[in-house]
Amino acid sequence: MMQVARKGPWAALSDLFWRRPGVLLIVLLGPPLIWLVVIYIGSLVALLVQSFFSIDEFSGLITHEFTLKTYGELLRPSNFDIILRTTLMAASVTIASAFIAFPIAYYAARYATGRMKAFFYLGVMLPLWSSYLVKVYAWKLILAKEGILNWAIDGIGASAVLNGLLALPVIGGNSLSVSYVGTFLVFLYVWLPYMILPLQAALERVPRNLLEASDDLGAQSRQTLRYVILPLALPGLIAGSIFTFSLTLGDYIIPQIVGSSRLFIGQAVYAHQGTAGNIPLAAAFAVVPIVIMGLYLWAAKRKGAFDAL
Amino acid sequence: MPIAVEFQNVSRHFGSVRAVDDVSVAIEEGAFFAMLGPSGSGKTTCLRLTSGFERPSAGHVRIFGEDCEGVPPNRRPVNTVFQDYALFPHLSVRDNVAYGLMVRGLDKTERYARADEMLELVKLPGYGSRKPAALSGGQRQRVALARALVTKPRVLLLDEPLGALDLKLREAMQDELKLLQGSLGITFIFVTHDQGEALSMADRVAVFNQGRIVQVGTPQDIYERPRTRFVADFVGSANVLSPAQSRAAGGPEKWVSLRPEAIMLTPAPQARVSGTVTGIRYLGAMNRVSVALGEAMLVATVPSGAALPPVGAETGLTWDTRSVHEMDGE
Repeated sequence: MMQVARKGPWAALSDLFWRRPGVLLIVLLGPPLIWLVVIYIGSLVALLVQSFFSIDEFSGLITHEFTLKTYGELLRPSNFDIILRTTLMAASVTIASAFIAFPIAYYAARYATGRMKAFFYLGVMLPLWSSYLVKVYAWKLILAKEGILNWAIDGIGASAVLNGLLALPVIGGNSLSVSYVGTFLVFLYVWLPYMILPLQAALERVPRNLLEASDDLGAQSRQTLRYVILPLALPGLIAGSIFTFSLTLGDYIIPQIVGSSRLFIGQAVYAHQGTAGNIPLAAAFAVVPIVIMGLYLWAAKRKGAFDAL
Repeated sequence: MPIAVEFQNVSRHFGSVRAVDDVSVAIEEGAFFAMLGPSGSGKTTCLRLTSGFERPSAGHVRIFGEDCEGVPPNRRPVNTVFQDYALFPHLSVRDNVAYGLMVRGLDKTERYARADEMLELVKLPGYGSRKPAALSGGQRQRVALARALVTKPRVLLLDEPLGALDLKLREAMQDELKLLQGSLGITFIFVTHDQGEALSMADRVAVFNQGRIVQVGTPQDIYERPRTRFVADFVGSANVLSPAQSRAAGGPEKWVSLRPEAIMLTPAPQARVSGTVTGIRYLGAMNRVSVALGEAMLVATVPSGAALPPVGAETGLTWDTRSVHEMDGE
């Protein structure tokens, strides 16, 4: 005789879920899916649609007709400069943070244990806990002409080097805090944790015996790095670069506080959707980072960056 | 025969743990040498001392007469087949096998040709373009073997090489490894906790316990003449009798071992001892009969077809005194 101990609506519901696992799946996935599709994807689609409208130059009103005119405006030298500047900045921030993050992440993944590991996580995460604005303004003070960095460089007698750097065309300026070099340094500082953490996670997953196997088969350390560690850590590197690259592409506060007054994409979006009231152009600008990231991921996939996943 | 690998009073301590404790052993070139012991007995550490992944706390490891102190793994003439194979997951089978040649700077055509040769040797021709993930356990084992052999090492180290395979595959691989070693003529040193594997494959076996080598010898030595109680216990199904039990059965007052196949069931008058049958296990070609003699328990193997007493019956046991083997009580 089978024991049927439970009765009542909850038992019936539980039995239903057992008989039809699909129902349970719908109940569990439904709400987040609705959120994702309606709010997240929906707003992206709205943005995309906006970018195909245009603004009437005389009345300043939005014409709700499909046109590529707004995208054409992106190619105007003044606008295209903004895209180029932002992309170059994002690329240099990404490359520099990869170089700085790799040794830190490698040490944390391979050698740090116990207290050192806790210290590592604290060190990487701590800057993320304080306000972004506070950090950026702090950097403005650090990089200012009267700031601590100038003072320290003066102190070690290297101000000639700094002045040489600032005298360079384009990237230079009156002081670090009003030059692209300054903007770059602040971006690098603010986004570095987003490169270190995924890279460290990826390196942690590289089994130690693969490194031993490489060593055993006669590889030099740099060969092991080149042929075993880097390919296996590449998904982490790509994940980190997606963060640093897209965060830099979209940021509009840092270049406003530290750097020359020339615009980045984020600032252009901010200006066009605000005072200028040119929502279509703002939307078209906002699509640019999405397209660039899409191209980047597509290229990474074609290069086999995710084969080790 | 020259000596391929020699351990001279080698110790390896991890903090207060003596993983390897004053081990001395010489392994001849061309030997198929097994390091046998329970887990934590120091056998794997000895292998890693040979490959260079561990450095001795004391003593010397010599490979072909040269002291290896300070020589990194990538410059030792030994290669390892790792326990879980350690194949590079992002490389194809061919690139895995050719890895050792690539890091030595051989061009693509030559290293691929040699890799394919090696894949042929381990009976995986045509598998070169697959990824390791697409292979079965036995096939990965063969790729690991090919990868370790392609650079023509003088000594091949195998760390529990067959541990992850199922029984049938393991037996087939045992035969193949033995054949391969014979045809290549290089020294194989393999670590295992499976005494059957050690005895059937190796020409010489070192039995490890608690960081020390308890006995080194041919499989026959180890099986028939265990030096200590530990070896007799670990290596096989031998009956081990304490001095008191041995004396009660009319033997010497020492720890002795007695192989199950040396014990015969016999009617009481001719018996040395008698006891109660407590269990019979059918093993195909033979039956394994357990007989309780008071405190002691003796196991005898009886060929299938011979008459057997039922469980619970009294039976006499006898054996030739020459098959009683005395040993240390350690």
